[in-house]
Amino acid sequence: MFTSTLRAIKFAFQKFGRNFWLSIITVSMLVFTLLTINILIVLQQVTTKAITFAEDRIEVSVYFYPNSTIEQVSDAAVYLQGLPQVRDVAVITSDEALERFKLRHASDEVILASLSEVDGNPFGATLVVKAHSADDFPFILDALDNPKFRDDIREKDFSSYESIIDRIRSTTDRIQLFGIALSGIFLLIAILIVFNTVRIGIFIHREEIGIMKLVGASNAFVRAPFLIECILYSLLAVTITALIVFPSVATMDPKFSLFFNGETGGVLTYFSKNWYWIFGIQFIVMTIINMLATMVAMRKYLKV
Amino acid sequence: MIHFKNVSKTYPPNIVGIRNINLHIRPGEFVSIVGQSGTGKSTLAKMMFAEERPTSGEIAVGGWDITNIREHDVPLLRRQIGVVFQDFKLLSQKTVSENVAFALEVAGVSNRRIREVVPQVLKIVNLSDKGDRYPRQLSGGEAQRVVVARSLVHRPKILVADEPTGNLDTIHTREIIDLLKKINEFGTTVVLVTHNREVVNALKKRVITLDDGQITSDVEEGRYRL
Repeated sequence: MFTSTLRAIKFAFQKFGRNFWLSIITVSMLVFTLLTINILIVLQQVTTKAITFAEDRIEVSVYFYPNSTIEQVSDAAVYLQGLPQVRDVAVITSDEALERFKLRHASDEVILASLSEVDGNPFGATLVVKAHSADDFPFILDALDNPKFRDDIREKDFSSYESIIDRIRSTTDRIQLFGIALSGIFLLIAILIVFNTVRIGIFIHREEIGIMKLVGASNAFVRAPFLIECILYSLLAVTITALIVFPSVATMDPKFSLFFNGETGGVLTYFSKNWYWIFGIQFIVMTIINMLATMVAMRKYLKV
Repeated sequence: MIHFKNVSKTYPPNIVGIRNINLHIRPGEFVSIVGQSGTGKSTLAKMMFAEERPTSGEIAVGGWDITNIREHDVPLLRRQIGVVFQDFKLLSQKTVSENVAFALEVAGVSNRRIREVVPQVLKIVNLSDKGDRYPRQLSGGEAQRVVVARSLVHRPKILVADEPTGNLDTIHTREIIDLLKKINEFGTTVVLVTHNREVVNALKKRVITLDDGQITSDVEEGRYRL
């Protein structure tokens, strides 16, 4: 059994070598299919990162009147922190707000001069509230209408990134749909090419197959090299894809930092951590599909 | 050794290959099957190693009823029957030794055993010094001797030779027939399909004559008569 398996592997390699250019075309088509699938994975990762990045920046700034006391502001902060929808509450005191304003307008003497005209600190304290999700903000805004704080609050400023997130989602959904369709087309072409490669392989090796049968080769032994060859195609295609994807992602990933405030897109990390899953599943699925195409071709053309 | 009982073969739509053949070949016999082209000689021979299946009747080889032999049992049968064809059926990209070894490789025989058997059979067919040559570097007679060597690797009890001398000149024909006689002397049953009158007459062995798919004569120490 072991000897026969080794020989079937040897015959598979011989077949691959003898039909070298045909094998190369088959593997190339499989690589195109896998590359499209990997581009979709990259896109999925970048989209997730972009949405998380945008969601992180959604916040409500709650401006208090200058005459509100720090205790009133702290009470409101504690109340908000107790809400399960709230992720973080930052308190900016009236003094900090004044300092930030001065710093922001340090080069504008007119504003600074007009500020000195005002008697005392015109700024009230501010609460910067972040939620776990964009959907939580309506609830938080309603919660701030609590009579306990309502009269101390001058203004609530909701800086919405929702429209940006929606745009990211709809754009990437469209790209993904296109990518899935493209993958499907490539996959179909790949299946047809594998089928045709096996058909041509059977035709080229018909004499050898005939002799094998004549001298007592079992049906399984005649078929095995074709099946092993399609495993070889999958293995080679996945390896080449990985060799293209990793350097490409490594080059691309730092460039995403321009969009994510210095953070990388996390794509390289994702691929580095999950490479065995990503490429393992691609190998298994590609092998199963190739084997099915091979078996259909053998059933049709290989009369053993 | 080989039994045919009321065996007929009809090809679609209604072409008769052989009809109502009754035949018994004993172990160790040398039998020539003769007849004009298209009389069913090759069909009869191919049925012995299940290359063709009968439309009706029963076939047994070595006590094994192969009338309705299952697909996965065919390789086992073929490892017990050596087959030699007129067109050699050698792999051009393999050397003589590799061609002979191929029959053992596909049967899962170990490399060690292959290294033992191949030189032995090449010695029997007198090609020990040509193991590294490719088929294109051999004469017709040598190529046919390689085929005989390949058919012997499984030590078959039966050797079926279908027109083995059809492509050979007189000298090479004699070489091959002498080789088949030698193999027969070792105890192997030889079935020779031929339309070579000189060969059959020189053999002085059993001759079965076919005409229009039927046995018209079956004579011990027969001669070629049509």
